[in-house]
Amino acid sequence: LLGSLQRLKAAVHYTVGCLCQDVAEDQDVQFSKQTIAAISEITFRQCENFAKDLEMFARHAKRTTVTTEDVKLLARRSSSLLKYITQKSEEITSSHTEQKEKK
Amino acid sequence: ERRSGSLQRKSALFSCVTGQKQIHCHENWSLSPEEFEIWDRLYRIRESDGIKEPVLPQSRFETLENLEEVSKREEEATHELSLSEWRIWQNRPFPTAMVDHSDRCYHFISLMEMIDLMRDEQGDCSYELEIQPHLRIEDVNVQRNKSHLSTTTST
Repeated sequence: LLGSLQRLKAAVHYTVGCLCQDVAEDQDVQFSKQTIAAISEITFRQCENFAKDLEMFARHAKRTTVTTEDVKLLARRSSSLLKYITQKSEEITSSHTEQKEKK
Repeated sequence: ERRSGSLQRKSALFSCVTGQKQIHCHENWSLSPEEFEIWDRLYRIRESDGIKEPVLPQSRFETLENLEEVSKREEEATHELSLSEWRIWQNRPFPTAMVDHSDRCYHFISLMEMIDLMRDEQGDCSYELEIQPHLRIEDVNVQRNKSHLSTTTST
């Protein structure tokens, strides 16, 4: 179990490193390795917060499957974030229906 | 002297909530004249108090279009409550009264602790050294930018 936890953390750390690299190039700043480590640990732990909330939101609606509506609730505190997530959700839905139509 | 007076008045205010004969004053959502008088005299912040009105920081996204209205505040007249000024205190749980710390609060505390431990590190990062041997390349999206692996592993 510890091994799989470490494996997950390593994958998050790698991806966070990539994203920070993009930001660093874009903004012309540098991140210390310790900063990247802290951001990846924050991200890892935030996944736990999200996972628990999503499960509860779904259960609150008497569902066992988490849907995009639950994900939108994670962004409820900021109208900017909610708008962004809602747009993404609509993009995903429309690209899904396009793919189905092709088939 | 003002302080002890304020305590007395406070209990007077609370008795208004519980006291039988004053219950009628809470039929309205707003303060009754007596409550207003107490608030006005003891709690209301005035210019003459020499303290600034406390305000909470507004949320703002660096990477998104910001929809939240930015209320124009007279920065001079307000004291923006800081959530980072006392960060060195935040690597341990603070006492609680009635509400326990939440999971996300404990996550925050552990992160502050982790940051504390890394603060004096030079160059090599202990977290990275510990975690990197566990990386399986099939777990990550390598297509994004291949140059990144080399930058994170070198020195």
